[in-house]
Formats: sequence, C-alpha cells, structure tokens
Amino acid sequence: MNKKSPAYVLAFMAAICLVFGAAIAVVNYATLGLLAKNEALHRNTVWCRAFLLPVAGNAAEDYQRAVDENLVPLTLQDAAGEIKGYRRITPGHEAVGFLVGGLGFWDRIEAAIVLTPDLREVINLQFMDQKETPGLGARVTEEWFTDQFKGRIVDWDGPADARLIVGPAPNPQAANRVDGITGATQTSMALARFLNSELNRIRALLPAALATAAAAPATAGESTLPQEP
Amino acid sequence: MASSYGKILKDGLVTENPIFRQVLGICSALAVTNLVTNTLYMGFGVTFTTALTSFTIALLRNYIPVRIRMIVQVIIIAVYVMVVEILIKALAPDVHRFIGPYVGLIITNCIIMGRAEAFASQNKPLPSLVDGLANGLGYTSVLVAIAVIREIMSFGTVLGYKLPALDLWWHPWTIMVMPPGAFFMLAILTWMARARLVKEVK
Repeated sequence: MNKKSPAYVLAFMAAICLVFGAAIAVVNYATLGLLAKNEALHRNTVWCRAFLLPVAGNAAEDYQRAVDENLVPLTLQDAAGEIKGYRRITPGHEAVGFLVGGLGFWDRIEAAIVLTPDLREVINLQFMDQKETPGLGARVTEEWFTDQFKGRIVDWDGPADARLIVGPAPNPQAANRVDGITGATQTSMALARFLNSELNRIRALLPAALATAAAAPATAGESTLPQEP
Repeated sequence: MASSYGKILKDGLVTENPIFRQVLGICSALAVTNLVTNTLYMGFGVTFTTALTSFTIALLRNYIPVRIRMIVQVIIIAVYVMVVEILIKALAPDVHRFIGPYVGLIITNCIIMGRAEAFASQNKPLPSLVDGLANGLGYTSVLVAIAVIREIMSFGTVLGYKLPALDLWWHPWTIMVMPPGAFFMLAILTWMARARLVKEVK
C-alpha cells in the first residue's frame, strides 16, 4: 500500500493507538492492586501517626489492624462539603481527627488534625499530601514542625482566624502558637488559614455528628476500610 | 548508518551531551535537582523513555508515514512516560509524591523527540536503543552532579544521609533549594564542561 495514501495513514494511526493503548491498559491493570495497597498504607500510616496509635510492626497489615481496632469513621457534612475523619474510642485516649485541607503555596495541602473530643487541645497533626517546595514549604512534614502542634490549646475565645497561629504573634508564648518555617512564609500562612477555617467548621458540625454517633454507637474493629477518608 | 556503539555512547555521555552540548532538557534539570533521590528517579524515567522510544521508532521507521511521523513519535513517547509514571507510583510512592508532576512532563522533554528525529528515524533499532540509552545517561549524569552539590549545600546530606561533622562546617544555603540555585549550578557546570571536557569542533 502507498504510504502516502490517506487510507494507509488512517490505518497506521489506528493500529498504533490500538497497540499502545492496549499496552498502557495492561500495565495499568497489572499495577492496580499495588497502587491501591500503597495508597491505603500511606493513609493508614498517617492516621496511625496522627492518633499516636500503637502499631505492632511496619507491615501494611499492622497499620490496617491498628486503624481497624482503634478508630471509627466519622464524617461531618455541611453545605461546603464533607470533612472525613475518625474518632478514637479507646478508653482514656478518646480523640477526634479530621482530614482538613486548603490551598498551599503551589497546590492543595491535606493534613490530619487530631484533637481532644472537646476540641480544646490539639493532640497531633500529620500531613497526608502536599506539593510544597522541597527544603522550604515541604518542611511542614518534618517532625520538629509537626511536633509543635502536640498539646497546643485552640483559642476558641479569640478571633476566628487565630484559633491556631503559625508564625509570629504579639505573644510569642501563646498556647495556640507554633513557629512558622523560615523561607516558607506563604506555606505557613496558607496552613494557618485553612487550619483555622476548618477548625471553625468542625466546631460547628461536630456536636450533631457525635450525637448521631452516640445514638447508633459503632465499635472499633467493625469499620471496614476503604470507608476511610 | 550509525558508527560504532562506543562512539554512540561517548557522544551521548560526553561529546554531544544533551545538556552541555545540545542544551536540551533544561526545565527538568532545574526542577528536580534539589534532591539526589528525586533526580535518580527522574533520570531513570528519561533514560527509560528515550531508549525505548528510540528503539520503537527505529523499529517502525520504514512504516511510519512521513507526514504524521511527529504525531506517532509523541504517541510513543507518551505511552512510555505513562508506563514510567505508573511504575514509579507503584514501586516508589513517596518519591512519586514529590516528582509526580515532573514525570508527566517527560513527554515534553526535548531530548526524547530530538533523538527520535535526529537518530532513531534514520538508524536501525539497536544503535538507536544505545543512542537513547547514552543520551538518557548523559542527561542523568549531569543532573546527578547538580543534585549532589545542591543537596549538600541545601540540606548537608547526600541521598538523605547526613555528612560527617555537619554542625562544624555546614550552614543551610536556602537559594540552593530554589530554582535559581539550579541555574547557577547548571551554568557553572556547563562552563566547566565546555572548557575542560568537550573538545570544540573546529
């Protein structure tokens, strides 16, 4: 067949698309299980760290078991959308945790924030996803930064945009303040912005959600991820 | 017809290095070189894509209609890039979280199409595979050199391992984390390479 003829060109393109499209489909299908497992492991790891859960080992099953045995899914809903999270019902370690997010310097940041059930104290904060500048904004994931949130007292009596303060404040010793990151002012400000906004939403929605949960109590261990957020 | 495999390798790695000599693939050289680990994965992605794209195009070169050859090349490049992205996502999810957006951009890396047009479309599959491999490795070697210097200056580490007696001599150099740091390093290394390593063709 003449290589310049339209029929040849069309047939060649169709064949190329078919063969290479099939190849991609095969590779994608072959790795689907691994991708799902990686994603579940990442999420479970973040939640275990955020809730400070004891984990028996480093295997994916260990993290899954820790989540299943200690946490119960909890979802808040308002007109702006859902806030997914968990509550920990282990006696003496009761806590609620939510996946909160907002626009960072480059892209959306998602973090798991865990608080006492009365929302007075932050138990921990861990990042689920961020695409900030490595070495600058991405340092929010470093332990020295996230550890600062442990034990911070949320200021529910102050301004709505200063429940938690990230960076400089008139009172550097304030119980609701953590240090920002040098060279990543925009990331620090973005973090403070969405944390405060989401904390206000959580406070408005949590009582009703807990009342509903109390009416139909769930037992840890019955939760079946992938219902996880 | 291509000359010996040794010359093809030498051309890709040194004499006609895609970054120093052809000034191709500069965007990713700036974007991913702040950590050596990220750079190695990016280098793997580009080398894998360049080698297999060149091989495939050389294999099909007698059948590809000239009028649509660039469309075909883009399709082939895109397929291999998608394979690389899926593999990195599956095997190294933590790395993918950092360099994911840049892996997709390998499709637009000029080195791959440059080698497809300049070499693979006129040569047999095996020399084309070696040419793609050599150019990918040439690109990777320059990026790793930049990344090692940037990571040391930015974090005091190499591949995440802290250098000895860090507190005594090291101070974080913030600009090295940012794209301007890569510009400076790339310019200095290119100058050194062109002055010392590459013999100018007169």
